[in-house]
Amino acid sequence: MENQICKVIKNKNLSKNYYLLEFENNFKKRFYPGNFVHIKIENLFLRRPFSVAHYSKNKIQIIYKVIGIGTEKLSRKNKGDYLDIIGPLGNSFPFYKNKRICIIGGGTGIAPLIFLAKELKKYNEEIYFFYGARNKNLIFFQILPTGINYIFSTDDGSFGKRGNIFDVFKKFNSFDVIYAAGPEGLLKKLTSSIKKIPVYISVENYMACGMGLCYGCVIKVKENDKWEYKRVCKDGPVFEGKEILWE
Amino acid sequence: MGMKKLKIKLGKIELNSPIILASGIFGYGNEKIDFIDYKKIGAITTKTITYTPWKGNPQLRIYETDCGMINSIGLQNPGIFYFVKNILHKIRKKWPKIFVSITGRNEKEFIDIIKILNREKVDAIELNLSCPNFEKKQRMISQDPDLTYRIIKIVRNETSLPLIAKISPNVNDIKEIAIASEKAGADILSLINTVKGLRIDFKKMKIIDGGLSGPSIKPIGLKCVYDVYRVVKIPIIGIGGITRGIDAIEYFLVGASAVGIGSGLFTNANIIEEIYKFLNQYLGKRNLKNIIGLLNEKESNP
Repeated sequence: MENQICKVIKNKNLSKNYYLLEFENNFKKRFYPGNFVHIKIENLFLRRPFSVAHYSKNKIQIIYKVIGIGTEKLSRKNKGDYLDIIGPLGNSFPFYKNKRICIIGGGTGIAPLIFLAKELKKYNEEIYFFYGARNKNLIFFQILPTGINYIFSTDDGSFGKRGNIFDVFKKFNSFDVIYAAGPEGLLKKLTSSIKKIPVYISVENYMACGMGLCYGCVIKVKENDKWEYKRVCKDGPVFEGKEILWE
Repeated sequence: MGMKKLKIKLGKIELNSPIILASGIFGYGNEKIDFIDYKKIGAITTKTITYTPWKGNPQLRIYETDCGMINSIGLQNPGIFYFVKNILHKIRKKWPKIFVSITGRNEKEFIDIIKILNREKVDAIELNLSCPNFEKKQRMISQDPDLTYRIIKIVRNETSLPLIAKISPNVNDIKEIAIASEKAGADILSLINTVKGLRIDFKKMKIIDGGLSGPSIKPIGLKCVYDVYRVVKIPIIGIGGITRGIDAIEYFLVGASAVGIGSGLFTNANIIEEIYKFLNQYLGKRNLKNIIGLLNEKESNP
């Protein structure tokens, strides 16, 4: 990974407290879907991790929700400001070619899935993207790649099907592989109900180093008939669903 | 630039740089962190290793505080056998010096680990004397001068490797513990370990009860080094809240012979480079040893 100073290109409010931040890509290393960046926020001791939602030679995008002091400060960054960033960090989603693919997520969890969908599209014709949100305003149409089959659901029924995206997803079947990110409840339901095909999930946690050094961000992972704590930042953030022992 | 003036002797150990990575901050030294210049680091101290593997604590393990962070990792580690077999040989060439941090739940575990490390090429052993459940009692070894003496002494009798005693600041009189460590045969002291603290996560309605680090503990670390320097002859590694060059200078001025970088690395990715450069500028034509303890005096009759 590298430590780079990157110039903010834009920091746009998407809806309510959701933002899209775009910065110049000064990284020499390539990013893959699932990788994250660790961003320094002025006057805060720890960096904040964000999954990459878009990656190109010139620019990188992240999507975040203002939930605390770190993201609040980040939301005040303007075009031309500089950010101290470490990346690319973490592992990435395994790639499949010529498969029937399901991508499912909600909230800011869709960030790595957008990057993933763009890459998978190059090698797969059948991609179904299940996108859940509380209401229509929290579906970010403007950043969704084209050429993919979208299935939406909202809690209030203001767009797509009414209800939870998992319940909508259940009515579909015969996928070869599932990729997911977002609320823990969704990930738990997916990993506990789907046993026959691989389910790859990107998980979140508080992090200190982000580089596999401090063992602060661990999650329980099965090892043969036992378990051990694995680092979300280094061994993850992408895990195969059946490996996880949810607490 | 400045290679020579930053050379320092820590007991018998010659360091190319007085900047040491403190235990727990860099795993076992086997992760490749591309933006760190390894040549500017004097030694790495590994994450603490125990005789058997330890799973460590459940979440939450880390939380930011106003001026630092609290951690409660619980010494997760794969055990000494795994470390020696799978990690040590891989990191040996990468680091100028390797200090292996160890702890035990009883005397026997300390002795068993030492017997294994005696056969390996390591540069020093750091005794983490802040293990919280020694002999199943709710106290740390380094909260009791007699126990500190006993543990260091039994380890001393088992090895000729340089011994570093890492001491908790959570005591009435740290001088007592430092003197006991020196008497028992410690070659070097690491001051300080994290300070006990607690934070609340309101969203999860959970507490995190652990060790505080970062800039908020620097005055505590400086005070401990200042006090201990007056009463011992062995060198001190000053640790606690170092995030930039000036912090390291402060530790040297009150008696540290080297500095340990801890969670400062997480906030300032360029910390090693910055301290190294700052030290060179600050020292000018002087050598580092000329400023050690400059604002302190040894007690004449300790």
